[in-house]
Amino acid sequence: MSANIINFLIFPGGVFAVLFALILVSLERILVARLQGRIGPVFYQNIIDIVKLFNKETLIPKDAKDFVFKFAPLFGFSGMLVLIYFLPIPGVYSGVKGDYDLIILIYFLALPAISYIIGGGASSSPYAAISVSRELKLMLAYESAFIIIAITIALYVGDGKGVFSLKKIVDYQLQHGAFLFDWKMWPAFVAFLIVLLAALEKPPFEIAHHNDADIMDGYLIEYSGAPLALFEITSALKLLVLSIVFQIFFWPSTLSGDLFINFLWFILKTIILLGFIGITHATFASYRADQGFKFLLKVPLVLAIISLILVLLSIKGLI
Amino acid sequence: MSIITRSPFLFRINTGSCNGCDVELATTAMIPRYDVERLGCRYTGSPKHADILLVTGPITARSKSYLVEVLDELPNPFVVVAVGTCPTSCGIFRDSYAIEGPLDKYVQVDVNVPGCPPRPQAIIDGVAKALEIWKQKIRNQK
Ligand code: SF4
Repeated sequence: MSANIINFLIFPGGVFAVLFALILVSLERILVARLQGRIGPVFYQNIIDIVKLFNKETLIPKDAKDFVFKFAPLFGFSGMLVLIYFLPIPGVYSGVKGDYDLIILIYFLALPAISYIIGGGASSSPYAAISVSRELKLMLAYESAFIIIAITIALYVGDGKGVFSLKKIVDYQLQHGAFLFDWKMWPAFVAFLIVLLAALEKPPFEIAHHNDADIMDGYLIEYSGAPLALFEITSALKLLVLSIVFQIFFWPSTLSGDLFINFLWFILKTIILLGFIGITHATFASYRADQGFKFLLKVPLVLAIISLILVLLSIKGLI
Repeated sequence: MSIITRSPFLFRINTGSCNGCDVELATTAMIPRYDVERLGCRYTGSPKHADILLVTGPITARSKSYLVEVLDELPNPFVVVAVGTCPTSCGIFRDSYAIEGPLDKYVQVDVNVPGCPPRPQAIIDGVAKALEIWKQKIRNQK
């Protein structure tokens, strides 16, 4: 097998990514449980869930668009698999070197949300319809802030000319220090954390699904069996992808030249980010839908624009 | 095969209960001390995800059609747990004109958790018993 196929199917994509992402989700559940004084599930709980779901009966509603309903989960799932193969992991894996992968990243990151929208729309449930419209608005709200953050970083790295290569962004920070410790990028960093929570739909942005008191399970309501399992894997992979993106954008530092130590460091950084997500999950309640959108349209966007202005000023040499 | 019985998804439906059982079920069984997530359980928002159905309440005329619909939507194999005296025997509402229970008119009840309302420990015990029955059902299905 060539190295590319191994990278796609075993490490860091494919098998490793799916198992690692599922364990991450379980770890987050354990953390939330411990913060609430409970014991929580075992660390491989979500893997068992997936195995069980693949063994369950798959129900298809009478009014659903059969084909779209069944194959919608594949959009997001394959998109995330490709993205993990694509992204560099600082110090561990060099990714696919392209000059415009930042733009491809922005496109592919929207795929899970699009597959939720297609799947929920095809399932002919009123709850799914409401949740799809919320998902769509949520996506528009956080995507704009994410794009501005990405442009800020591209301009900063290229010193005025946009550099859209993730490899170059990582290399720049390895030489000049991580953006996490650069005060000009702090507003963008906070904006990124908010966007992260919104993209993963963790509280306080648990608006479109898993919102049992409001719209039941949202777009997932009609799903069961294997398609549901694929959706669960997709959202777990999205967590992994976003934590890799976080490390590329803000904290790509490596400890040494050794691959294995860097790999452990990568896992540690991922778990630190996971700790943040778990703490917000256990601390905050969810926004009401309209409050959530208003917050997302104002705060992260403004923070990202502040960073953009600071970066532009520093490029001009004014600060 | 036995490993998958450690991942039950729970769905609860209130068929006109006085909320006593609901409070015990929804909040008490998940808050500190009484933790059903330890058994791998998770509350889901849709009957189509569920493995264990928890029913509270005496099944009023108004809620009957919803109960029947939910029972239709459960994917096989599933287990039904009656929480409280109400779904078992209609409890204190027994002679009311608006009651169409008890639950075993509509579906075979696998576990009864008696009490008005039952203690959280009893509910968790009921869920643990339901897991055993679920395991049996999976075996029989194969
Ligand atoms: S069993 Fe008792 S506490 Fe439970 S719903 Fe019935 S009346 Fe209420």
